Amino acid sequence: MTAPESTREMGMKGYVMIWGALLLIVALEVFLTYQHLAPGVLLFALLALAVVEAAIGLMYFMHMRYERSLLFWSTIPYLLLCFLLLNHMWRDAARIISLKGQAP
Amino acid sequence: MAESPMTMHAGHAAALEPSPYGMSSRKLVMWLFITADAATFGAILFGYGFLRAGTADWPRPFEFSPTIVNGMVMTFVLLTSSLTMLQAVAASNRDDRPATARWMGITIVLGALFAVLHLREWFKMFGEGWSLSANPTGGPVAFGASFFSITGLHLLHVVTGVVALTVIAIMFRRGRLNAGHIETTGLYWHFVDLVWMFVFPLMYLLNAH
Repeated sequence: MTAPESTREMGMKGYVMIWGALLLIVALEVFLTYQHLAPGVLLFALLALAVVEAAIGLMYFMHMRYERSLLFWSTIPYLLLCFLLLNHMWRDAARIISLKGQAP
Repeated sequence: MAESPMTMHAGHAAALEPSPYGMSSRKLVMWLFITADAATFGAILFGYGFLRAGTADWPRPFEFSPTIVNGMVMTFVLLTSSLTMLQAVAASNRDDRPATARWMGITIVLGALFAVLHLREWFKMFGEGWSLSANPTGGPVAFGASFFSITGLHLLHVVTGVVALTVIAIMFRRGRLNAGHIETTGLYWHFVDLVWMFVFPLMYLLNAH
Protein backbone atom coordinates (compact mmCIF):
# COMPACT_ATOMS: atom_id res chain seq x y z
CA MET A 1 0.00 0.00 0.00
CA THR A 2 1.53 3.35 -1.05
CA ALA A 3 1.17 6.39 1.18
CA PRO A 4 0.01 9.75 -0.20
CA GLU A 5 2.75 12.22 -1.04
CA SER A 6 1.88 14.93 1.51
CA THR A 7 2.35 13.03 4.75
CA ARG A 8 3.90 15.88 6.74
CA GLU A 9 0.74 17.42 8.15
CA MET A 10 -0.53 18.80 11.45
CA GLY A 11 -2.52 16.66 13.85
CA MET A 12 -6.29 16.68 14.17
CA LYS A 13 -6.07 19.06 17.14
CA GLY A 14 -4.53 21.67 14.87
CA TYR A 15 -7.24 21.15 12.26
CA VAL A 16 -9.96 21.60 14.89
CA MET A 17 -8.34 24.88 15.93
CA ILE A 18 -8.28 26.03 12.33
CA TRP A 19 -11.92 25.00 11.94
CA GLY A 20 -12.74 27.11 14.99
CA ALA A 21 -10.79 30.05 13.60
CA LEU A 22 -12.71 29.84 10.33
CA LEU A 23 -16.03 29.83 12.21
CA LEU A 24 -14.90 32.90 14.14
CA ILE A 25 -14.07 34.69 10.90
CA VAL A 26 -17.56 33.88 9.58
CA ALA A 27 -19.06 35.24 12.81
CA LEU A 28 -16.98 38.40 12.37
CA GLU A 29 -18.29 38.77 8.81
CA VAL A 30 -21.89 38.56 10.02
CA PHE A 31 -21.12 41.01 12.83
CA LEU A 32 -19.61 43.55 10.43
CA THR A 33 -22.61 43.23 8.10
CA TYR A 34 -24.87 44.75 10.74
CA GLN A 35 -22.56 47.58 11.81
CA HIS A 36 -23.92 50.08 9.24
CA LEU A 37 -20.59 50.39 7.48
CA ALA A 38 -20.30 52.26 4.20
CA PRO A 39 -20.92 49.85 1.29
CA GLY A 40 -17.37 50.09 -0.02
CA VAL A 41 -15.90 49.54 3.44
CA LEU A 42 -18.13 46.52 4.07
CA LEU A 43 -17.27 45.03 0.68
CA PHE A 44 -13.55 45.47 1.31
CA ALA A 45 -13.80 43.96 4.80
CA LEU A 46 -15.84 40.96 3.67
CA LEU A 47 -13.55 40.30 0.71
CA ALA A 48 -10.43 40.60 2.87
CA LEU A 49 -11.85 38.16 5.43
CA ALA A 50 -12.92 35.77 2.65
CA VAL A 51 -9.39 35.84 1.21
CA VAL A 52 -7.96 35.09 4.66
CA GLU A 53 -10.37 32.16 5.05
CA ALA A 54 -9.51 30.87 1.60
CA ALA A 55 -5.78 31.15 2.29
CA ILE A 56 -6.14 29.24 5.56
CA GLY A 57 -8.25 26.56 3.88
CA LEU A 58 -5.84 26.29 0.96
CA MET A 59 -2.70 26.09 3.08
CA TYR A 60 -3.90 23.76 5.82
CA PHE A 61 -7.07 21.87 4.80
CA MET A 62 -5.84 21.38 1.23
CA HIS A 63 -2.25 20.86 2.46
CA MET A 64 -0.68 23.28 0.00
CA ARG A 65 1.67 24.33 2.79
CA TYR A 66 3.14 20.84 2.78
CA GLU A 67 3.48 20.50 -0.97
CA ARG A 68 6.42 21.67 -3.07
CA SER A 69 6.44 25.43 -3.70
CA LEU A 70 6.25 24.73 -7.45
CA LEU A 71 2.58 23.84 -6.99
CA PHE A 72 1.88 27.23 -5.40
CA TRP A 73 3.79 29.15 -8.07
CA SER A 74 2.13 27.18 -10.87
CA THR A 75 -1.43 27.90 -9.77
CA ILE A 76 -1.85 30.97 -7.58
CA PRO A 77 -0.11 33.67 -9.70
CA TYR A 78 -2.20 32.58 -12.70
CA LEU A 79 -5.37 33.02 -10.67
CA LEU A 80 -4.28 36.38 -9.32
CA LEU A 81 -3.49 37.59 -12.85
CA CYS A 82 -6.90 36.35 -14.01
CA PHE A 83 -8.68 38.30 -11.27
CA LEU A 84 -6.51 41.36 -11.84
CA LEU A 85 -7.46 41.44 -15.53
CA LEU A 86 -11.15 41.11 -14.66
CA ASN A 87 -10.92 44.40 -12.78
CA HIS A 88 -10.79 46.24 -16.10
CA MET A 89 -14.57 46.02 -16.44
CA TRP A 90 -15.49 48.26 -13.48
CA ARG A 91 -15.38 51.44 -15.55
CA ASP A 92 -17.90 49.93 -17.93
CA ALA A 93 -20.24 49.21 -15.02
CA ALA A 94 -20.06 52.86 -13.99
CA ARG A 95 -20.70 53.88 -17.61
CA ILE A 96 -23.83 51.70 -17.70
CA ILE A 97 -25.27 53.48 -14.67
CA SER A 98 -24.72 56.87 -16.32
CA LEU A 99 -26.32 55.57 -19.55
CA LYS A 100 -29.39 54.45 -17.65
CA GLY A 101 -29.69 57.93 -16.20
CA GLN A 102 -29.86 59.32 -19.75
CA ALA A 103 -32.49 56.83 -20.97
CA PRO A 104 -35.79 58.40 -22.12
CA MET B 1 11.47 -2.11 -10.72
CA ALA B 2 10.40 -0.42 -7.48
CA GLU B 3 6.92 1.02 -7.54
CA SER B 4 6.07 4.53 -6.37
CA PRO B 5 2.94 6.67 -6.53
CA MET B 6 4.49 8.56 -9.44
CA THR B 7 5.48 5.62 -11.57
CA MET B 8 2.95 2.89 -10.85
CA HIS B 9 1.24 1.70 -14.03
CA ALA B 10 2.73 4.65 -15.92
CA GLY B 11 5.24 2.92 -18.20
CA HIS B 12 8.94 3.30 -18.84
CA ALA B 13 9.02 7.03 -19.55
CA ALA B 14 7.45 7.94 -16.23
CA ALA B 15 9.93 5.70 -14.43
CA LEU B 16 12.77 7.86 -15.78
CA GLU B 17 11.12 11.23 -15.07
CA PRO B 18 9.78 11.81 -11.58
CA SER B 19 7.12 14.50 -11.28
CA PRO B 20 8.59 17.95 -10.51
CA TYR B 21 5.57 18.50 -8.27
CA GLY B 22 6.40 15.45 -6.18
CA MET B 23 2.88 14.07 -6.49
CA SER B 24 0.91 11.59 -8.54
CA SER B 25 -0.65 12.62 -11.84
CA ARG B 26 -4.07 12.05 -10.31
CA LYS B 27 -3.45 14.62 -7.58
CA LEU B 28 -1.81 17.11 -9.94
CA VAL B 29 -4.78 16.93 -12.31
CA MET B 30 -7.12 17.60 -9.40
CA TRP B 31 -5.09 20.69 -8.49
CA LEU B 32 -5.24 21.87 -12.10
CA PHE B 33 -8.99 21.32 -12.19
CA ILE B 34 -9.38 23.24 -8.92
CA THR B 35 -7.37 26.13 -10.37
CA ALA B 36 -9.56 26.26 -13.48
CA ASP B 37 -12.75 25.99 -11.43
CA ALA B 38 -11.56 28.77 -9.14
CA ALA B 39 -11.09 30.98 -12.21
CA THR B 40 -14.62 30.09 -13.31
CA PHE B 41 -16.15 31.00 -9.96
CA GLY B 42 -14.03 34.13 -9.79
CA ALA B 43 -15.25 35.23 -13.20
CA ILE B 44 -18.89 34.58 -12.35
CA LEU B 45 -18.55 36.49 -9.08
CA PHE B 46 -16.91 39.35 -10.95
CA GLY B 47 -19.86 39.24 -13.36
CA TYR B 48 -22.18 39.57 -10.39
CA GLY B 49 -20.16 42.53 -9.16
CA PHE B 50 -20.39 44.11 -12.62
CA LEU B 51 -24.17 43.69 -12.68
CA ARG B 52 -24.50 45.09 -9.20
CA ALA B 53 -22.19 48.07 -9.82
CA GLY B 54 -24.17 48.87 -12.97
CA THR B 55 -27.57 48.74 -11.26
CA ALA B 56 -28.72 51.73 -9.26
CA ASP B 57 -31.57 50.13 -7.29
CA TRP B 58 -30.09 46.73 -6.40
CA PRO B 59 -32.38 44.98 -3.90
CA ARG B 60 -31.21 43.79 -0.51
CA PRO B 61 -34.01 41.45 0.49
CA PHE B 62 -32.39 39.02 2.94
CA GLU B 63 -33.60 39.32 6.51
CA PHE B 64 -31.35 38.16 9.36
CA SER B 65 -33.91 35.52 10.22
CA PRO B 66 -34.38 33.18 8.51
CA THR B 67 -32.08 33.82 5.53
CA ILE B 68 -28.79 34.91 7.12
CA VAL B 69 -29.24 32.48 10.01
CA ASN B 70 -29.82 29.70 7.47
CA GLY B 71 -26.67 30.81 5.64
CA MET B 72 -24.68 30.67 8.88
CA VAL B 73 -25.97 27.16 9.57
CA MET B 74 -25.04 26.11 6.03
CA THR B 75 -21.55 27.55 6.50
CA PHE B 76 -21.15 25.67 9.78
CA VAL B 77 -22.29 22.43 8.13
CA LEU B 78 -19.90 22.80 5.21
CA LEU B 79 -16.92 23.76 7.38
CA THR B 80 -17.61 20.78 9.65
CA SER B 81 -17.78 18.51 6.61
CA SER B 82 -14.27 19.66 5.68
CA LEU B 83 -13.12 18.67 9.16
CA THR B 84 -14.70 15.23 8.89
CA MET B 85 -13.11 14.83 5.45
CA LEU B 86 -9.73 15.51 7.06
CA GLN B 87 -10.52 12.75 9.54
CA ALA B 88 -11.28 10.44 6.64
CA VAL B 89 -7.98 11.28 4.95
CA ALA B 90 -6.10 10.67 8.22
CA ALA B 91 -7.85 7.32 8.65
CA SER B 92 -7.04 6.32 5.06
CA ASN B 93 -3.37 7.14 5.68
CA ARG B 94 -3.47 4.59 8.54
CA ASP B 95 -5.19 2.16 6.13
CA ASP B 96 -8.12 2.01 8.56
CA ARG B 97 -10.81 1.34 5.97
CA PRO B 98 -13.84 1.08 8.31
CA ALA B 99 -12.95 4.39 9.96
CA THR B 100 -12.36 6.02 6.59
CA ALA B 101 -15.77 4.88 5.36
CA ARG B 102 -17.38 6.15 8.59
CA TRP B 103 -15.84 9.59 8.36
CA MET B 104 -16.63 9.83 4.67
CA GLY B 105 -20.18 8.80 5.47
CA ILE B 106 -20.46 11.67 7.94
CA THR B 107 -19.02 14.04 5.33
CA ILE B 108 -21.58 12.81 2.80
CA VAL B 109 -24.44 13.32 5.24
CA LEU B 110 -23.26 16.86 6.02
CA GLY B 111 -22.92 17.61 2.31
CA ALA B 112 -26.43 16.33 1.67
CA LEU B 113 -27.71 18.40 4.61
CA PHE B 114 -26.13 21.51 3.08
CA ALA B 115 -27.87 20.77 -0.21
CA VAL B 116 -31.22 20.24 1.53
CA LEU B 117 -30.92 23.52 3.47
CA HIS B 118 -30.01 25.32 0.28
CA LEU B 119 -32.90 23.88 -1.69
CA ARG B 120 -35.29 24.66 1.15
CA GLU B 121 -34.22 28.28 0.97
CA TRP B 122 -34.53 28.31 -2.81
CA PHE B 123 -38.10 27.01 -2.71
CA LYS B 124 -38.98 29.58 -0.07
CA MET B 125 -37.72 32.28 -2.43
CA PHE B 126 -39.61 30.74 -5.35
CA GLY B 127 -42.74 30.89 -3.22
CA GLU B 128 -42.16 34.60 -2.62
CA GLY B 129 -41.94 35.20 -6.38
CA TRP B 130 -38.17 35.23 -6.90
CA SER B 131 -36.70 33.40 -9.90
CA LEU B 132 -33.97 33.70 -12.51
CA SER B 133 -36.11 36.27 -14.34
CA ALA B 134 -38.48 37.65 -11.71
CA ASN B 135 -38.23 40.12 -8.85
CA PRO B 136 -41.41 40.33 -6.71
CA THR B 137 -40.40 43.78 -5.40
CA GLY B 138 -40.52 45.18 -8.93
CA GLY B 139 -36.80 45.94 -8.98
CA PRO B 140 -34.09 44.60 -11.29
CA VAL B 141 -34.39 40.94 -12.22
CA ALA B 142 -30.59 40.71 -12.37
CA PHE B 143 -30.67 39.96 -8.64
CA GLY B 144 -32.47 36.67 -9.13
CA ALA B 145 -30.44 35.84 -12.21
CA SER B 146 -27.12 36.30 -10.41
CA PHE B 147 -28.19 34.80 -7.07
CA PHE B 148 -29.71 31.59 -8.44
CA SER B 149 -27.02 31.04 -11.07
CA ILE B 150 -24.10 31.50 -8.67
CA THR B 151 -25.58 29.57 -5.77
CA GLY B 152 -26.86 27.01 -8.28
CA LEU B 153 -23.40 26.46 -9.71
CA HIS B 154 -22.05 25.99 -6.19
CA LEU B 155 -24.92 23.65 -5.32
CA LEU B 156 -24.12 21.61 -8.44
CA HIS B 157 -20.56 21.24 -7.18
CA VAL B 158 -21.83 20.14 -3.76
CA VAL B 159 -24.20 17.54 -5.21
CA THR B 160 -21.62 16.10 -7.59
CA GLY B 161 -19.15 16.09 -4.71
CA VAL B 162 -21.57 14.11 -2.55
CA VAL B 163 -22.02 11.58 -5.36
CA ALA B 164 -18.26 11.31 -5.91
CA LEU B 165 -17.59 10.94 -2.18
CA THR B 166 -20.15 8.13 -2.01
CA VAL B 167 -18.61 6.22 -4.91
CA ILE B 168 -15.05 6.69 -3.62
CA ALA B 169 -16.02 5.68 -0.07
CA ILE B 170 -17.70 2.47 -1.27
CA MET B 171 -14.83 1.51 -3.54
CA PHE B 172 -12.23 2.29 -0.89
CA ARG B 173 -14.11 0.21 1.68
CA ARG B 174 -14.10 -2.70 -0.78
CA GLY B 175 -10.33 -2.41 -1.16
CA ARG B 176 -10.33 -1.24 -4.77
CA LEU B 177 -8.84 2.21 -4.11
CA ASN B 178 -5.98 3.53 -2.00
CA ALA B 179 -5.41 6.47 0.34
CA GLY B 180 -4.31 8.68 -2.55
CA HIS B 181 -7.83 8.53 -3.99
CA ILE B 182 -9.29 9.67 -0.68
CA GLU B 183 -6.84 12.54 -0.47
CA THR B 184 -7.56 13.66 -4.02
CA THR B 185 -11.32 13.56 -3.47
CA GLY B 186 -10.78 15.48 -0.25
CA LEU B 187 -9.05 18.24 -2.21
CA TYR B 188 -12.19 18.71 -4.30
CA TRP B 189 -14.40 18.80 -1.24
CA HIS B 190 -12.24 21.40 0.50
CA PHE B 191 -12.36 23.49 -2.67
CA VAL B 192 -16.17 23.44 -2.62
CA ASP B 193 -16.00 24.71 0.97
CA LEU B 194 -13.47 27.34 -0.02
CA VAL B 195 -15.77 28.69 -2.76
CA TRP B 196 -18.59 29.02 -0.22
CA MET B 197 -16.30 31.28 1.84
CA PHE B 198 -16.75 33.80 -1.00
CA VAL B 199 -20.32 33.02 -2.01
CA PHE B 200 -21.77 33.48 1.49
CA PRO B 201 -20.45 37.01 2.14
CA LEU B 202 -20.88 38.26 -1.42
CA MET B 203 -24.30 36.78 -2.21
CA TYR B 204 -25.90 36.73 1.24
CA LEU B 205 -24.26 39.24 3.58
CA LEU B 206 -23.93 42.00 0.97
CA ASN B 207 -27.63 41.51 0.17
CA ALA B 208 -28.73 41.54 3.80
CA HIS B 209 -31.61 43.88 4.57
